[in-house]
Amino acid sequence: MLDLHALSADLDAFGTYQAEAQARRRRRLADACAALDACADRWEAVRDAAAERGSTPLVAGLREAPDATYAAPGRPTPFTAVATDGSQIYPDRHVEPSCYLINTSRIAFQYGTLETPILEAEVDFEYEGCDLAEHSPGARAGRVSDEIVSALRDEQELRALLETSRRARRKGRPLVALADGTLIRWMIRGMDDRDLEDELIGRYAALLEDFRREGLPPASYVSMPGNAELINLLGVHLRMNGGEDDEDALAGLLDRWLFAETLAVGERSATFTSASRIQTRYAEADRICYFYTRVPAGSDSNDPGEIARVEVPQWVADDADLLNRAHGLIISECEKGGGYPMILSEAHEHAVIRAPEKERFYQMIERALRERGLPPMRRSRKDRSKRTPAV
Amino acid sequence: MPEATAEIIEASTRAFTAEVHDGEEAPAFGSWVEVEQADTGHTLYGLVSHVEMGAREPGRQARAFGQSREELQRERPQVMALLRTIFRAQVLAYRTDPDDGGTIRQTLPPRLPSIHDFVRCCAPEAVRTLGAPYDFLRTLVQDPDPAVPTDDLLVAVLRQVRAAHGKAHGEERSEDALVEAGRALSRLLDDDHERLQSILRRVE
Repeated sequence: MLDLHALSADLDAFGTYQAEAQARRRRRLADACAALDACADRWEAVRDAAAERGSTPLVAGLREAPDATYAAPGRPTPFTAVATDGSQIYPDRHVEPSCYLINTSRIAFQYGTLETPILEAEVDFEYEGCDLAEHSPGARAGRVSDEIVSALRDEQELRALLETSRRARRKGRPLVALADGTLIRWMIRGMDDRDLEDELIGRYAALLEDFRREGLPPASYVSMPGNAELINLLGVHLRMNGGEDDEDALAGLLDRWLFAETLAVGERSATFTSASRIQTRYAEADRICYFYTRVPAGSDSNDPGEIARVEVPQWVADDADLLNRAHGLIISECEKGGGYPMILSEAHEHAVIRAPEKERFYQMIERALRERGLPPMRRSRKDRSKRTPAV
Repeated sequence: MPEATAEIIEASTRAFTAEVHDGEEAPAFGSWVEVEQADTGHTLYGLVSHVEMGAREPGRQARAFGQSREELQRERPQVMALLRTIFRAQVLAYRTDPDDGGTIRQTLPPRLPSIHDFVRCCAPEAVRTLGAPYDFLRTLVQDPDPAVPTDDLLVAVLRQVRAAHGKAHGEERSEDALVEAGRALSRLLDDDHERLQSILRRVE
């Protein structure tokens, strides 16, 4: 229960704080825009200075002048667009026996044709631990953590994307395979289990390699990206000129706020390379590059559209035709999807597990146990009390 | 035997709802459909009393895009794929197992159809067997589906009667069958001539 009355005084202070924070952000953003202009002419020197400083915090790698902008190319027709998404029911530590489930969607549209779309989802129910037992003592003991399930879901999404792209590809027809979220698997680090992390990253890298070998260009879409890699680079530039006093000049800013100042609807930024260390396990041609783009918000002309981050492997970024293809598809998708790629919304709709479905899943487990004369699923007292609160 | 056009997704002794299979056309309002009951050997006959098209998944609603059907198929291919047509049929008669005489009974069957049973459109010869004494009209008039305009359904039924008889025996026999059905209906409507005339006018 939330005591809204008690909250009202705090909300006053919140408003004041936000007004100050936003004024501060506007000042810093103006400085960042000026820095972007100023460093454009000597971007190679800034790139080299950033490289000398090491990798924390993450700094954008430059491939061209960072203030470059490109208008949206039209999406060709016919065109094959592929997308997948995944969702999961994590192993619930309040419920025994332990099991989990991953639901992965597979979507493929042959735009400009009357061919039947692929609209599918595949469910993977795991109750025997997982296939990582030899790499993880936890998994060996039948304990699969939420982090492992998330990593397996990401892997399944990418595998489904590869398989669906193979199925949907047509000779002579351009194709882009669109993933949701980042292709940089930084979240795998931090499992505190080096062998397991290496195995998961290795598998992911192998999938990215297959995309390249088979000439199927992947791209991923990050909505509301929280990265500050270009901001950090501009910080390097300021320090090159003004010394350490400018350490905090751009503190708290995000790349997307900067590009909201510079990109018109449909335009994309220059491409940058990611310095994330996790990618050292990716083949060099598969290391991730990214650009920012202002996507159209659809029919609402008052909405300027959001700044999205689009990630592609280096081999895609190096090929102007493939890069344009990914950019053109994203813009056309967002036009149709009211500011978010339509095909990713569809992939989400087919993958999502809603609360009643989750409840039904547990009921089905209960029934399966009952039919075998086994004791019912054990729910902790805490879980039971949350489900049926007493008066 | 005509191909299955639909599959039952809700069933009761009195009526069933069926989802039309992808690529198949929905049966016409007021037309006869049949369901073979594997366990009893009966064939159930239902009259299509309501047809509806909408989003396949609850929680997703169709919206206007201002594009032609072909433009939608080319640029929003999921939209047409996510639509479905369902229809409701009132069960009005059944035929017993051919080994058991294959008799037509114009009354409700002893058992309801099963969910996932296939539904087919009736061929004209099946419609002709659902003729005199037109007892099923009594069920339609006296216990109508409250969500359906009964007289419009009666108009559609009479047109079917005429068409089914006309196909096999020509114009004259089809008019005879229509007159006979009209007489049965007149008795049911308690000689409410105005209502009967209104129905017959619309059959023309």
